[in-house]
Amino acid sequence: MSADPVVHVIDDDEAVRRSLDFLLQSAHFKTRTYENALAFLNALPDIPSGCVVTDVKMPEMSGVELLRHLRHKNLRMPVIIITGHADVPMAVEAMKSGAADFLEKPFDDEVLLTAVRSALASAEDVSQREIERTELQQRFATLSKREREVLQGLVAGKPNKTIAFDLGISPRTVEIYRANVMTKMRAVSLSELVRMTLIAGFPTEQGTETRPVM
Amino acid sequence: MPLRDPRTGFARLSGLVAPINERVLWYIAAVVLTIGGFTLHLVVTPLRTAQADLIFMVPAILVTGALGGLGPGLLATALCIVLDLLSPTTPTAYFGSHLATAGAFGVIGIGIALFGERLRFARMNAAARTQDLLSREAHLQSLLATVPEAVVIIDENGVIQSFSSSAERLFGYSAAEVIGQNVRILMPSPEREAHDGYIRRYLQTGQRHIIGIGRVAVGERKDGATFPIDLSIAEIISGGQRYFTGYVRDLTEHQETQQRLEQMQSELVHISRLTAMGEMASALAHELNQPLSAIANYLTGSRRLLTDASEENLRLVRTAIDTAVEQSLRAGQIIRRLRDFVAHREPEKRIESLRKLIEEASALALVGAKELGIRVRLRFEPAIDRVIVDKVQIQQVMLNLMRNAIEAMETSDRRELSVTTAIGPEGAALIEVADTGCGISSEMADQLFLPFATTKVHGMGIGLSISRTIIEGHEGRIWAEPNPGGGTAFRFTLQALVDEELGDVG
Repeated sequence: MSADPVVHVIDDDEAVRRSLDFLLQSAHFKTRTYENALAFLNALPDIPSGCVVTDVKMPEMSGVELLRHLRHKNLRMPVIIITGHADVPMAVEAMKSGAADFLEKPFDDEVLLTAVRSALASAEDVSQREIERTELQQRFATLSKREREVLQGLVAGKPNKTIAFDLGISPRTVEIYRANVMTKMRAVSLSELVRMTLIAGFPTEQGTETRPVM
Repeated sequence: MPLRDPRTGFARLSGLVAPINERVLWYIAAVVLTIGGFTLHLVVTPLRTAQADLIFMVPAILVTGALGGLGPGLLATALCIVLDLLSPTTPTAYFGSHLATAGAFGVIGIGIALFGERLRFARMNAAARTQDLLSREAHLQSLLATVPEAVVIIDENGVIQSFSSSAERLFGYSAAEVIGQNVRILMPSPEREAHDGYIRRYLQTGQRHIIGIGRVAVGERKDGATFPIDLSIAEIISGGQRYFTGYVRDLTEHQETQQRLEQMQSELVHISRLTAMGEMASALAHELNQPLSAIANYLTGSRRLLTDASEENLRLVRTAIDTAVEQSLRAGQIIRRLRDFVAHREPEKRIESLRKLIEEASALALVGAKELGIRVRLRFEPAIDRVIVDKVQIQQVMLNLMRNAIEAMETSDRRELSVTTAIGPEGAALIEVADTGCGISSEMADQLFLPFATTKVHGMGIGLSISRTIIEGHEGRIWAEPNPGGGTAFRFTLQALVDEELGDVG
């Protein structure tokens, strides 16, 4: 871990931006804030290192677009994406684009701080990630075949009814499998489940393995 | 008398029963009176000494001929002549002259019978005409009794001449009570005092204010209750006298229907507000989530800082809490606006500031617009600001138009929403909501404001139709035009309040 890792906070809502700043500083992180993605990109040449915490919905350039832009420029700076209203396709897209984490507002401080810490750590040390991934993969191993199939449907953003139709089972049964999956994976919300799936590199429906996040 | 037409039905038949009996009686009378006359002659004058005198038969012929008509008259005449000629006492020497007298007598008898017949026809005609008149009168009475409108006829002094049974029901007076009274008892003050003056003015000037025109007025029942009426008056001149006929229709029920209609309309307007909010639910949830996230961040950060209660940390925590409070108020404000907007309330027009109204509506309507990268410009004309409106309804129109504009620009490169107020035609306030969106196709333009016309995937197509109902309810007009810079401009007018009027209201 470098001596002075900086957390770059990007959010167009001033209140949220300043509160994030306050929270991170209270945990002794050095921070810099930007009111939109372009302001951050303009400042980029002067930025030595650190990680990015960005909102998704912003005018002109969204959080996910910023992430793609950074990857395109071959900048491996970890990016944590936060959103007020998470939907599955957005989460999948963010994680596939290489987001370090995907958090739904409002969140518990520990969730954010852990994510920031591991993101900063992963910039230098991948072992922390590796441990998490191994643990998640162990949890996946406990899923039955049907449960995996239902999980694939959920990660693809399909509603229960569609999954039931595709698998030829009743929606009621899908609900039961879904509940089992959540329990076994110890996921609190659907977006967290999606995040776990993507971190663990669980195969998505199309059969393509999701790229493990570095 | 034979029946002329046996098929004319029972009515006619029963009408003829009396004349037939009467005719038969007259025939009998002809025989009886003639024989009576002859018998009297036999008793009074010894036939052996004098020739038979037809004089005794004259009363019989006169009575039966004149009153009984042709048939009985002729019968009596013939019977008289036969009796006279067959009389055994008639001396043969005088037979020639006797025959001549009988002939002359016969002619007179026939004359009387013919005259009697004419008289009988005249009598029958008169009876039929009276019958006609009576049945027509009955018709008229039944009409007056059944027309839903109350009919009151007065003379030129305002004195009631006729009062229909509907009028009795409507006003609660019986005809007997009011006929002969002045019509003013049927109306409340100040009409009651002024009514005689109205009639006088009309009689003097001939200027019609209500006759043949009709208007809505107020009536007063016997128990003193007043009620709305629709009053029309006709003038009749009959027998050199001038009368006025008033037709009175009770409007209570009409007004109730009207009220119910308005109620249903306001219900619909309210439901469409709920729908609009339902469609915005996700954007509103996001808008509420922002301050809540900020509060959570400030509080969790504070908790962290408080583990080390240094002077510096306490200062930071205090500032954080202040900001968190501010944010909770921000959330509260969003909720309050939302609640005001969806609350079920009676429509109520008040003097409102156009600027404040639009700014408040924008706060709701522009939720989520910033993230879409939409540039918003509000421009207000300071010379026109006061309007008499139902604030929530006009805000509903604004919200509708602005949300439509935002949706229309989702796929455009240029995203500018401008809301402008200006002075419109005839001093009205003109409000414009213009976007740089996809515009309106020509086939949609015609049915833009019709209900259930929509191009949206998730839309009922009632937003613009409701907006038009609201604006027209405010005596304004709403229309759409292509925006010169591309996109669409919706415009509507509202009655504005100029400064002098404001002074009146206080």
